[in-house]
Parts: sequence; structure tokens; C-alpha cells
Amino acid sequence: MMVILPLAITWLTAILLTPLDGRRRWVIRVGMAGLLGSLLASLWLALSVFESGPAEMLVGGWEQGIGIRLRADALGAIYILLANALLLFALAYEERVPLQEQSFPALVMYLAAGLNGLFLTGDVFNFYVFFEIAMTSSFILVSYGQGPREVRDALIFTVVNLLGSVFFLGGVAGLYHVTGTLDMEIIATRIDTVEPASVIVIAILIFVAFSLKLGLFPFHFWLPAVYRGIRPVSAAILSGVLANIGSYGLIRFGADILPAELQFGAPVLLILGMASVFYGALLAISRTNEREVLAYSSISQAGYILIALSVGGAVGFTAAILYAVINALNKTLLFLTSGLRGSGAGAAFAIGAFSVAGLPPAVGFFGKAALFQSGITADSLAFVSLVVLGSALSFVYMFRTYQRGFWANAMEESQAGRSPRLFIVLALAGGVLLLGLWPESLLAATRLAAAGLLGGMP
Amino acid sequence: MNVILSLAVATLFGVGAFLLLKRDLIRVIMGMILISNAAILFTVAAGLSRGGAPIVPLPEGTNFSDPLVQALALTAIVINFGVTILLLVLVYQVWVTHHSIDQKTLREAEENELAEFEKHRRGL
Repeated sequence: MMVILPLAITWLTAILLTPLDGRRRWVIRVGMAGLLGSLLASLWLALSVFESGPAEMLVGGWEQGIGIRLRADALGAIYILLANALLLFALAYEERVPLQEQSFPALVMYLAAGLNGLFLTGDVFNFYVFFEIAMTSSFILVSYGQGPREVRDALIFTVVNLLGSVFFLGGVAGLYHVTGTLDMEIIATRIDTVEPASVIVIAILIFVAFSLKLGLFPFHFWLPAVYRGIRPVSAAILSGVLANIGSYGLIRFGADILPAELQFGAPVLLILGMASVFYGALLAISRTNEREVLAYSSISQAGYILIALSVGGAVGFTAAILYAVINALNKTLLFLTSGLRGSGAGAAFAIGAFSVAGLPPAVGFFGKAALFQSGITADSLAFVSLVVLGSALSFVYMFRTYQRGFWANAMEESQAGRSPRLFIVLALAGGVLLLGLWPESLLAATRLAAAGLLGGMP
Repeated sequence: MNVILSLAVATLFGVGAFLLLKRDLIRVIMGMILISNAAILFTVAAGLSRGGAPIVPLPEGTNFSDPLVQALALTAIVINFGVTILLLVLVYQVWVTHHSIDQKTLREAEENELAEFEKHRRGL
């Protein structure tokens, strides 16, 4: 019962909001209440998972082995908490000014429902269905605003991500063909007996699908153009919430279901990750458009997740999960702030920039620290120096952007007055700072999630 | 049977990929539809057993085809319908905002916007 609660709350709110006019404030507030309810339910679920291990539920009262299984482990619990909290911030951000589109709150709720389902399901085809629900609502969210730029970018985003979905569907069909089941737990146990050559093909299909989502080099080509044109709130949802599908998918399918293939592909992941880190950072430095810098920064940051995954083991997986969480927080904060100007927004942006560069007291410091730790565990000098160099580059591009956006225009923007959205952004920045000052619970949760992945599925 | 199915999947995917690279957006969407259908056919082909229709009561001792992949394919087809309609709506929106569905025009519009942005930035 507990497992289905976040999914049920968001789903029902989404259905309730569909016929309503989302331009009215109270409709958005109903949506926010729904997300808050789902966030509290996820918190309840997460606390129980952290304390007493994974929770399970068979949908529709079917027998074990027939019914679709919903399953919450520490990894899924972290991700649903993150997704619900960040979507709540995004919706609150839009609540502050009159909306232009009536479908916005309902679409955010459908996206939340899709994500909650995706992070909680224990069945690969069910994963695909929730994945499509989340993606389809995001296709429309990207076109939010309906201007020429938004529509154009939504089209690119839709076509590219549909290709990713097709690859993933192929991977799911392949997994079913070689193991005869769709249950993640049973696949993980049966996959060892399958001929490795065929599993590698499936692993590559799944890897490509999630890399497209995450925007890793060389699957990043769509990302900068899309992030440049769309609204700040859509960009925040894409890079803060939707990219989590990519990182969750890589961690879940790589570390949990296909660990042997992950190990086999580790050198490739390391090279692609390094290429992502440098390519993203260098191009971010060369750009002047704030949104474009952030887009390339996403590519660069996604590379770190891949590198940590390639190290593997408890330390590597902990670093990957931690970094994915921190990156989602940073990018949501920065993209939401990118629409604002003034000293308050400048402070929020600076906190985000500190976090991306990995400087204390922002939470990004612990992400970088975990990466260092995994580099030292892997005993790789190249890895450690790469993280240092990548951090230095990210420091350069983040502060150049800060300078350009908040110092250069300070004079004329001060007359613009306070934006009603400032409060939301500052609250999120405060969260990033608080997590950086008291990171114990986050660190413990990621360690638990990594241990859950390594222990097989208990 | 396997050879025929894989040839069919490959042809659908190849033709779809070819169309995807066209300038005309309607062709791009046709390409997307073909590629999605290649994936659905692949799903059906991934069935573990082949034979007659799996309708209960099953006659004793005969082979029947795996009903699960058919359920999966059906779900994927339904998802595809929805997404295809969404794509068509997006193309219509492109037509409304740009008065063209040629990717070349879209590219020009994008370049113009970038040039505007540069001008604005230098002006500051």
C-alpha cells in the first residue's frame, strides 16, 4: 500500500487537473498540494525503506511471478524524493506569475506520476510504459510558451527522445527474449546463464537510450539547442528532473541488472565520461549565452556520473548516485535563476555556481569529494587529475556567467525591482546550502542505495 | 522465419532512418513511425514460443504463440499512436509559427534569432 501511494496521489491529481483551467491560481495550488502530498508519502516510504529494507507490492492482487511488482529500494526512494521536491519547486515558481497555458499544472502532475512509477517499478516493461508517460508530458512541457523557438525545440527534443525510447523498447524485448521474464529481480539472476555476446548488444541498446536522455557525449547533439530556446522552467524540469531518468536508468540497469556487462564496458564508459567532462566544460567556457553555458555544463556534469559508474563497487556507485542527486539540484536551481536578475537572484546563482564547481559550503563539495574518493579507490592518477581539472574549468565557466549576468547588468537591472519568483529560487538555494552544511542523511542514504545495488536484490 | 523477421525489422528501420534525415518534417515523422514499428515488430519477434492463437481453452499437446509479447506490442502500438498525434500537432505548430515545414527555413529562423541575440548583447 505504502509503495503505491506517491504514484496514486500524483495520478489522481493529474486526472483531476486535466479538465481544469491551469491559468487560474487555485488550480496550480491544487497541483502543488498534490505534489506536496506525494512528497510526504515518498518521505514516509523512504524512511521506512532506509530503516527496514525494500518494500514491495504486487499490483492487482495477482500471484507472485504473474503480477507486476512495484518495489521501492533505497535508490528508488532517493529518486522519488528528489523528483517530487524539484517538481514542487518548478510548479511554485510558475505559480508566482500568471500562467499562459492551461495545461501546465496537469502536465507537471502527469510527469510526476510517470516518474514516481518509473522509480518504483520492478518490471522492465512497466518501466518503459512509465518512461513514455513521463516523456510524453515532457514533450508538451518543452513547447510551453508556444513561441517559434519553443515549438522548434520541442520538435527536436521529441524526435530525438523518441529514438531513445525505440532503442529502449528494443532492449526490453531483447531482455525478455534471452531471460523469458520481465521482472528486474529475476532477470538479474537469470542473466548470468545467458550467452554474453547477446547480452552485450542489449546492454548497448539500453546504454544508448539512457545516454540520450542524460545528454552524454556523443549523444548530446540535441541538448544545447533545446535548452537555449525553451522557458527557464521547462529547462529546469528537463535538466533537473527528466535527466534523472537517464542517470537512474544507467544505475539501475547497469549496476543492478547487468553488472557483468557494466564491468565489461567500464573502459568505454570511462573514456566517454572523460570526453563528456572536457567537451562540455570547454564548450561551456566558449559560450556567452547563459542558458547555453548551463546546457554544456549539464553535458560535462553527466560525464562525472558515468566515470563514477565505471569505477563501480560501493565507492563508485555511492559517488554516482550522490553526484546525480546533486547535479539535479544544481541544475534546477541554476535554470530557474537564469530567468531572473537582481542581487537576490545573483546570490542564488552564486550558490548554484559554488555547488557546480564543488566548493564548500554548497552540497556540490560532497559530490566532488565522493568522486575523489572513488578515484583514489580506483588507484587512477588520470581520474583524480581529471576531476581536479574539470572542477577548475567548471569554476571558470560558472563565474564568467555570473559576472556577465549579474555584474555587467547590475546598474540597469536594479530598477527592475524584486521578482515574485525570487523567494522560490532563494528557498531552493537555501536547500542546497543546508544539504551542504548537514550532508549526513544524504550521504548515508546514497551509501545505503549503493549497498543495495551491490548486494544483488535482497 | 527468423531471417524474414529480421530482414523486415532491418528494412523498416533503414527506410525510417533514411526518411528521418529528410528536410521535410512530414517525412521525418513518417520515418519516426516506421522506426517505431520496427521496434514493435522486434518485440513481437522476441516471443519465446510460436504456434496457434493462445485462446483458452487450449487444445492439448499443441504449440501456441507467446501471448505476453503480443500484449507488449499492443501497449507499444497504443503509445505510438499517442506520440504520433503529438508529433503531428507539433508540426502543425511549426507551420503556424514559421509558415513552413522545411527544416531549412527553421534553421534560417534559428540563425536569425542568434544574430539578434548577439546584436542585443553587443548593444549592451
